[in-house]
Amino acid sequence: MADTLLAHITLAPLTLDGVIAFAKGYGLNFSFLKSAYERDMWLEGFRTTLVLIAVTIPVSLAGGILLAGCLTAKSRLLSLPARLFVELTRNTPTLVQLVCAFLGLNMLISDALGGAGRNPFGAFFWVVTVVGLHGAAYHAEALRAGIEAVPDTMREAARSLGFGRLEILRWVELPMALRIALPAIFNNLVNIVKLTTVASAVAVGEITYASIMIWTQRDIVVELMIVLLLFFSAINLALSQVGFWLERRLRTPGLGPAGLGL
Amino acid sequence: MTAVRIAAATLPAIPFPHPVGRPVALCVAVVAAAWIALRPQSALALLDWSPHLLQGFAMNVLISASAIALGTLIGLILGVLELSSLRLLRLPAITYVQIFRNAPHLVLIFATTYALPFEIAIGGWHVPFPDWLKAVVGLAVPASAHIAEIARGAIQSIPAAQWEAAGSLGFGRLQTLRWIILPQGLRRSLPAWMNLYASIAMGSALASLVGVGELLHAATDASTAVRRTDFTIAVYLTVLVAFFAYCYPISRLTQRLERRFAV
Repeated sequence: MADTLLAHITLAPLTLDGVIAFAKGYGLNFSFLKSAYERDMWLEGFRTTLVLIAVTIPVSLAGGILLAGCLTAKSRLLSLPARLFVELTRNTPTLVQLVCAFLGLNMLISDALGGAGRNPFGAFFWVVTVVGLHGAAYHAEALRAGIEAVPDTMREAARSLGFGRLEILRWVELPMALRIALPAIFNNLVNIVKLTTVASAVAVGEITYASIMIWTQRDIVVELMIVLLLFFSAINLALSQVGFWLERRLRTPGLGPAGLGL
Repeated sequence: MTAVRIAAATLPAIPFPHPVGRPVALCVAVVAAAWIALRPQSALALLDWSPHLLQGFAMNVLISASAIALGTLIGLILGVLELSSLRLLRLPAITYVQIFRNAPHLVLIFATTYALPFEIAIGGWHVPFPDWLKAVVGLAVPASAHIAEIARGAIQSIPAAQWEAAGSLGFGRLQTLRWIILPQGLRRSLPAWMNLYASIAMGSALASLVGVGELLHAATDASTAVRRTDFTIAVYLTVLVAFFAYCYPISRLTQRLERRFAV
């Protein structure tokens, strides 16, 4: 008797009915999971959010490095447009940028190509572009601060070894700047994860959008909200752990608190 | 100690980024002039809609200012609680901050919009709880979590010796906090607070998604009513410029303060 009860308790949440019954025990109604349509849409939402994050983060990092290179360039022809872009991106809401891109730019492209059917860019593309470039602007500022924190003596040493401007950027400044900017960059990545929720505004079926679809049909906002918050907390907790791990691994000897003997 | 001083002395000064307000204003003026010359009809439509847009923007200012005020109040209390020596006070505060600092603003706005009642009964009175106020709460929650961290950092950045000195002068813990620590901490956390203000101001655009009549919502109204491609683009660009005009001065001031407070 006790054995079967124990087996029941431990195995209960592993089946769908078990999960629903388990949640019900806490006063949470997850019975929508029984509807295949809603369940599949919801699970697809989780997958889409993860794909969105996985695609946007590399885009933002690549864009950030490129922009940081432009920002620190001697030529004003490179640095001024980069500075304009960074300030415009940082001081306007991402949602407004997304609307401008998706309803404005996308419409112009459609018109130019002769019909929306010929336009290869969809809502997903614009979300990745806008959120990715938003992240890139923040990465670029972090990297710029990092590049400027690289001691001048290192730059001079590299120059005396015959390194050119680009070589110094590639082999001296960027590796050092990346280490210095690492905490800020991971902070930005957490922000990017949170920003992917704006995709719901242009009907990309990520998890926020799927949840909205479900809770407008059923009155279960609190239930889905708890899952949403836990889901995003888990991703961001994992991201910040990776950040701490990288910081420890890439710590530059002689820099930081340990180097100061604190 | 010497090591710290040497390190601080060799750090290069943070260069002040070029101001971009003027080039942006110039670009906007040129594009707007060209557009008015080429499409006078759409420009007139934009003029017609401008009171509606302005009203929407006033809502953004109202939402963001209320959210940051409410968030600051709650955040300061949470920040102090995070440093409390009582576990019973400290742990819930830390949990709250961890959860809501990592939560997307949009999710929180949806949460408050759908989960909060449309009116609150206080005694026999039914006080309406409109959607814009729910958006304020939705933005105040993450703001309070961030402010708690800013406040905690500021309090911890004040040397411990000051606590001890105040204690030896007969100040209690709360009195020391009120009269010695907070006045210094507030000055130091001003740039971080302003950064947050700018981010909450931008977050107020998210309220359009739950049907609050703010600027982006007003722009959508205008674009669906007028139904012209160039008008749609112009009206959304106007929204972009309006937010830039609101947030850019804040971030410039923040940079200036950061430079002044830099070690």
